[in-house]
Amino acid sequence: MDNPLVQPDPGLFIWTILTFLVLVGLLAKFAWRPLLQALDARQQTIAASLEEAQRARQELERIQRESAQMMAQARIEAESVIARSRSDAEALREELKQKARAEAASIVKNAEKQIQTETARAVQQIRSEAVDLSVAIASKILRRQMSKEDNQALIEETLKQVESQPRV
Amino acid sequence: MQIDAAVQEHGAEAAETAAEGFNAGEVIIEHVANSPIDHPLIHLPTIAGIDFSVTKHVFMLWVVSAIIFVIVTAAVRRYVRQERLVPTGFMNALETLVEFIRDTVVRPSVGDKWVGTWTPLLLTLFLFIMVANAIGMIPIFEVLGLLNHWVFHFGEETFFAKLLHGGSTVTSNFNVTAALAIVSFFTIIVAGSKAHGAIGHWKNLVPHGVSPALAIALIPIEILGMLVRPFALTMRLAANMTGGHIAILAILSFVFIFTEMAGQAVGMGIGLAFSVPLAVGISALEIIVVLVQAYVFTLLTAVFIGMAIHAHH
Repeated sequence: MDNPLVQPDPGLFIWTILTFLVLVGLLAKFAWRPLLQALDARQQTIAASLEEAQRARQELERIQRESAQMMAQARIEAESVIARSRSDAEALREELKQKARAEAASIVKNAEKQIQTETARAVQQIRSEAVDLSVAIASKILRRQMSKEDNQALIEETLKQVESQPRV
Repeated sequence: MQIDAAVQEHGAEAAETAAEGFNAGEVIIEHVANSPIDHPLIHLPTIAGIDFSVTKHVFMLWVVSAIIFVIVTAAVRRYVRQERLVPTGFMNALETLVEFIRDTVVRPSVGDKWVGTWTPLLLTLFLFIMVANAIGMIPIFEVLGLLNHWVFHFGEETFFAKLLHGGSTVTSNFNVTAALAIVSFFTIIVAGSKAHGAIGHWKNLVPHGVSPALAIALIPIEILGMLVRPFALTMRLAANMTGGHIAILAILSFVFIFTEMAGQAVGMGIGLAFSVPLAVGISALEIIVVLVQAYVFTLLTAVFIGMAIHAHH
């Protein structure tokens, strides 16, 4: 028992138990409980954040899908609008062309008709002027030679002659 | 009385050998054992035959506890006060340790239901043993002794000078490890009683479904087993911590032995070529032992608690 390495020391034994139990109590109250709670809280926070992130990613994917769909639809619509407007323009141009052609045709027809009318009237006028002129000339020439009766007979004969001629 | 006589004899022997020259045994004992109880740091009264005086090892118990409490509590308080629970610096290490003990030592042994109950105790046990082991690896008092020798010159009866006597590794004193083992012993009983009731726990000592005759035969065996556990815990830790220190001190003693035998040059040569490299190697090994012994003590306590809780064979 004189070896100090194996000397029983009940005082130290009891001091150790007391010290250790006090340390357990203090650490449990001031360190371990708050720390373990904080660790649990953080674990939950991390789990919640990960879940949140996943939800956000799914949401983003959904939105991207939707926007892609909308883009595709918009493109199709735009194409159809362009095609329709092109065909509309084509139709309009055709219509305008036809209208112009019809107008031109009607103008030409009108002009022809007017020309005919004018021509007929001119012929008529020329004819009557010619009659008057020829009468005047003839009467000037024949004033003294012809009686009134002869004159009348001549006019009628001339008129007959003119009327029997085909018209221009 | 007997102890007093023994110590006096011891002291006389020491004086005798001091006159003779270097005594490796004396030096090693001086560096490993507690300071003598009849020369305590602080004299306290003897109650019921137990001397409560504060010796070096009692003082070191307090140093270890204070270091653990201050460092851990400060780190945890700073951490918990943060708005976001982001660990930084030392807190990372502490958190790793806490999660390691909780998730790989306590939880597999005692189960999810009791992990919250026993983690604080086992964490404290681990930290206490580890820091106590580790402090023994740091030659604080040897350095202070040198400073006293050259600079301070405190008298032999001052508190400071008394501090320099005795080893600083409390876990190499089997009184300390026995106390820790007793704490572990009663913890096992409390854990069993909490899980199965005070009577249920003791009934669990004998496996269910054995014949009464066999059960009676098993009772002394189980009781023996129950008592052997703390004894094994006590001896394993104390012997491991003592052994490493003795090995290092013995190897370093060669320097002085050879100096006496063949002069200073040979002693220094032995020191540089053999003692110091080997002591460094053993110290490195001791760092592992420091961690492993703390781990083993904690793990075994956790396993025994788990056996008391899950006592269905």
